[in-house]
Amino acid sequence: MKIVAILTALLLFISLYLIFGYAQIEKSMLEVQKIFYFHVSAALTVFVAFGVNFVFSIKYLIQRKTNDDLLAAAAAELGLVFCTIALLSGPIWARYAWNTWWNWEPRLTSTLILWLIYIGYFILRAALTEDKRKIYSAVLGTIAYLEVPIVYYSVSIWQGGMHPGTGTKWNLEATMRHTWMVALVAFIMLFSLLLALRYHSKKTEARYEIIQQQHLGEVSS
Amino acid sequence: MRIVILAIFLIVFGLFLATQIPVTLTADEVDGAVSDAIAEAQEPVDEDEVAPIVQRSIEKLEAAQRNRLKYLAGAYFVIWLVFMLYVLRLGQQQKALDRRLAQLEQETNQ
Repeated sequence: MKIVAILTALLLFISLYLIFGYAQIEKSMLEVQKIFYFHVSAALTVFVAFGVNFVFSIKYLIQRKTNDDLLAAAAAELGLVFCTIALLSGPIWARYAWNTWWNWEPRLTSTLILWLIYIGYFILRAALTEDKRKIYSAVLGTIAYLEVPIVYYSVSIWQGGMHPGTGTKWNLEATMRHTWMVALVAFIMLFSLLLALRYHSKKTEARYEIIQQQHLGEVSS
Repeated sequence: MRIVILAIFLIVFGLFLATQIPVTLTADEVDGAVSDAIAEAQEPVDEDEVAPIVQRSIEKLEAAQRNRLKYLAGAYFVIWLVFMLYVLRLGQQQKALDRRLAQLEQETNQ
């Protein structure tokens, strides 16, 4: 775990150096374009996080192991954190580029819907008892992931959006592309690290609840 | 973890200050540049007429850059703020859990 933490910190430092000291300044957006590196990396990390939630939700439905439910929930929580980052940093860029904080264009709207769906996932988890919580949230986690390809391809599905197409990131100038790739790897590493931490704390919470129930049972008998 | 994120936050702003802060030209530097340009010009130019135009143009460019940097700093501030708040929340949850575990241990021993 310590090695992953050190590697993540190192990669974040390197990506920051690359963003501010190496990547060329883009000609139309100038310095504001540098928001791109963390904004897009956060948005793609959202897909990875909800992907982990999807895989472990299905795994839970098949094998009914509590640890899969905990890992799915931890991944969804981090997906929400990264989605919040993408949703908050995007409008700052939009204000400069499009002269508006928010626009109901396909990518923004579908991302907001994705965020709301996973907020619903946690409302559902909080509202149900433990036995129902695991199975219902696994079902919702499986269905909710269907929104991810919609977000990704929203620019192609609905014409007239303001976001560039899905493949344009690869056509960036070389220094910008390298910087973005390092930032993306750093974000995915950060996600993995936080996921491990959150999963561990969720497991401790679950163990505490079991011990507490056993203790209460002993006291009452 | 909190220290790492705080350190990265400080480094972002350090790098930001070191590399992105607009370079404000002094009046003497502007005058020097205008004089050099006039000296190199093929046709005669009135320095008193050109100097204020150049000065205004530089001020406009610097104001536009300051404006862009506000957006850049704002976006990175928001990103690290979200991470900081999340990590702080994780830390608080862990502390509360440790407290509850210690309490439960104590009750079990009694």
